[in-house]
Amino acid sequence: MSAPGYHAVRDGHTVLDPRTAPPFPDAALTVLRNAQLRKNVACATDVIQGKRDRLVAEKADWSQLRDAASAIRAHTLEHLNEYLRQFEEQCTDAGGMVHWAADAEEARAVVLKILREEKADEVIKIKTMTSTEIQLNPFLQEHGIAAHETDLAEIILQLGNDEPSHIVVPALHVNRAQVREIFARTMGLPGLSDDPQALTAAARTYLRKMFLTVPTAISGANYLVAETGGVAIVESEGNGRMCLTLPRTMITLAGIEKVIPRFRDLEVMLQVLARSATGERMNPYTSLWTGVTPGDGPQRFHVVLLDNGRSAMLRREVERQTLKCIRCGACMNTCPVYRQTGGHAYGSVYPGPIGAILTPQLQKLEHAQTLPYASSLCGACYDVCPVKINIPEVLIDLRAQVTEKERESERRFFDPIYLGMLIANWVFASAARFSLAQRAARIGLWLFTRKDGWIHTLPSVGGRWTMTRDLRGMPKETFREWWSKERAR
Amino acid sequence: MVGSMRISLFITCYNDTLFPETGRAVVRLLERLGVEVEFRPAQTCCGQMHANTGFRGEAFSQAKRFVKLYADAETIVIPSSSCVAMIRDQYPGLIAELGNDALRREFESLLPRVHELSEFLVDKLGAEDVGAYFPHRVTYHASCHGLRALLLGDRPFRLLKHVRGLELANLDNVDRCCGFGGTFSVKNAEVSSAMLTAKLQDLQSTRAEFCTALDNSCLMHLGGAMHREFAAMRTIHMAEILASTEAAPAEALA
Amino acid sequence: MTAGSRQVVLNKIRDGLGGITGEPAAGYADLPRTYQQHGSMSAALKLALMVERLREYDAEVVECAESALVATIAAQIAHSTRHLLTAPAGLPAPWLVDGVEWRVDHELSHKQIEEAEGVVTASFCGVAESGTIVLHHSSTEGRRVLTLLPDWHLCVVRATDVVETLPEYFARCAEPPPLATYISGPSATADIEMTRIKGVHGPRFLSVVLVRDEA
Repeated sequence: MSAPGYHAVRDGHTVLDPRTAPPFPDAALTVLRNAQLRKNVACATDVIQGKRDRLVAEKADWSQLRDAASAIRAHTLEHLNEYLRQFEEQCTDAGGMVHWAADAEEARAVVLKILREEKADEVIKIKTMTSTEIQLNPFLQEHGIAAHETDLAEIILQLGNDEPSHIVVPALHVNRAQVREIFARTMGLPGLSDDPQALTAAARTYLRKMFLTVPTAISGANYLVAETGGVAIVESEGNGRMCLTLPRTMITLAGIEKVIPRFRDLEVMLQVLARSATGERMNPYTSLWTGVTPGDGPQRFHVVLLDNGRSAMLRREVERQTLKCIRCGACMNTCPVYRQTGGHAYGSVYPGPIGAILTPQLQKLEHAQTLPYASSLCGACYDVCPVKINIPEVLIDLRAQVTEKERESERRFFDPIYLGMLIANWVFASAARFSLAQRAARIGLWLFTRKDGWIHTLPSVGGRWTMTRDLRGMPKETFREWWSKERAR
Repeated sequence: MVGSMRISLFITCYNDTLFPETGRAVVRLLERLGVEVEFRPAQTCCGQMHANTGFRGEAFSQAKRFVKLYADAETIVIPSSSCVAMIRDQYPGLIAELGNDALRREFESLLPRVHELSEFLVDKLGAEDVGAYFPHRVTYHASCHGLRALLLGDRPFRLLKHVRGLELANLDNVDRCCGFGGTFSVKNAEVSSAMLTAKLQDLQSTRAEFCTALDNSCLMHLGGAMHREFAAMRTIHMAEILASTEAAPAEALA
Repeated sequence: MTAGSRQVVLNKIRDGLGGITGEPAAGYADLPRTYQQHGSMSAALKLALMVERLREYDAEVVECAESALVATIAAQIAHSTRHLLTAPAGLPAPWLVDGVEWRVDHELSHKQIEEAEGVVTASFCGVAESGTIVLHHSSTEGRRVLTLLPDWHLCVVRATDVVETLPEYFARCAEPPPLATYISGPSATADIEMTRIKGVHGPRFLSVVLVRDEA
């Protein structure tokens, strides 16, 4: 449990399934009442953002790096077929086995098949959001295979029956007392203190044995290098190195958009990723491996390339840019909405600004339709995105797509905002109508205007405004009325 | 550089209806600086509200209407950064999609002639000291469109610096969104209010009497909460501060 | 099963991208690379920066001339009070100094490596801007498990192998390495209340011997 009275996993169902998650405004309301969580989120994002800003200011060629990173990612997506085929060929030549999964179900099935061949009843995992996206852990559990997370944050969440709320610091909503409680209970350490050093040491001991004994590991990938068939993983703790070095068999699960053209492109990607994600010049450990190297590391290596809705995003440039994402989390660290709600409100393994555009698109807009509206369009995310995804532009485009669907729905006549928009458009088409509408509004609002000239309560949608704000009543004269009276020649 | 220039004022639909005093202040200010102001009564709305809420189809006709109306205007001044941002950032895509070459050419010719108020004063008139008098403690709220879409930079500060009697208080977290966000303020009223509360905390710390900005949209949201909470602070559009003199103080001070 | 999926996915991608044709090579060559690709610091400043960055993340750094390398290694080992060390099979023989029990990696088991208190290796290069040590896991650097399990890593970095910027490292690679590990700090986590804790997994102690040019 992440906080008293707040459960990210209820009745075995995660709150992070976009198909069943509550609409953003409802989910947000629940977390807004959790002061502990809001405090944790604000502190954590302040820390990372502060570090990020300092290091970006220090980097004289930051804007050129961003240009290059954005261009490399855009170019890769424009030639995704060629680069994926090249990666497959190179990886296979180097002794790896490449599998393709059109959707989550196929990906899960492939992973299970490999694990059955390995006669594995447990696996160790390096943090990978892609595996959460396809809901791998519960699936493996159903088939009698225990999936042990090894990232500290992921252990906290797994042992605490909780869900990630940020893509780089997934347990930022959990404080030390809560971690202590989880570890003491599940690791059998009743005397454990809540000092982060002690908690980390407990995790280190708990995991060491697992690293040295479990022969099968599952990872994600930060980058797939087409030129060489190599895979790069970027981390801080070292559990990644453990999982990709010690076991006998390695399975890497990666979205098809993870590929980059050449090895040297890492010189750009690594520089922007570390600064954006954790505010470091370089993260502690980056590992690169290619297929199978005799005598060094896993001797059986599989890559599962996952589509799961990504290919559908390639057609239109405005959507395609979403796939440039390198999962740094800078957007959510700067987002004023995320600051108030944390990640769970987004009902997806991908939260924050990137989640608001990626999740609805992966769901083909059949779900998560409230996410594109979970933004004030302030643009702070676009400013910090290392690959220059114009998130506000995508949000507006997705809102248009959601509205197009609404135009076909019967519910639209019961949506006051929908009706209001149609009426407003009709009104704006003619100045005469507009003036008339202004006069009508003055009459209508007069009923709600108090003696001091302000409105305290409004019905319907207006009530959502007056919930927390007054509204000054309409002035006696509009500007155009004043102009025509005083100023028109 | 103050001379006999003629500008066409696009007041914006919400200023026209709810904040006419801002429009009056713009007129007073510009005329004091020797600028002739015309107002085309056929104007209504730039289409931003529709475009940003997903009603893209409706935004087309509003954009077209704007371009047609102002195609022959020398200079257009708009006291609202978000409307200027709409015209600069979203009109190109909308106009292009209409597929009308003549309209597109008209728009491309029009675009450089559209200015937000502070851009017009500082860049076109070269006027940083506009002869204003406003003896109060004021803090400036940087609305997101002005900050990030228009890159207004320090223009507002350069203007405020010369206002006689004005004491400028710096606002912490000045680049953080106030939570208005158009229809976001009602579709996500709770989160909007949470962001508003955080912004009010920073505003209260300035101990300013007035919170000013270049957008009445943000000010409506901030001022609405100040009024609800009986806060000892009010909102005022910067045009009204800049128009204010000893002889003719801002209407808000009456 | 996935053979069919392969075609399904590739078809969807092809259909999505539609009009974009042409070989990737042309587009790739035109990508903007106006970021810094060469260092601008003098050799002395560059090395000073490398040392500063290493010390920032609590690595112990000692500089020496080539002629004093073996003695320096011996001194570092003695100072560490560790007695059982492991080393890659290709480590220069003189570096296997006396006074220590050496377990050279001739197909050691994980258990045997786990028992070692430390490991001594060479390196491919260093990147001063970020204090990064690059291992390509050659015969003098050892296979990856060797620098992963022991708690102390003594790494020899040659000054002539230190570059200032990350792109310069990539420029040095005649071929992309099949294996690489970039080390830029001890393992760390900030997952608990953003409190930075070092030494989660992997060697908690790093000592670097920076070998200056002779003269």
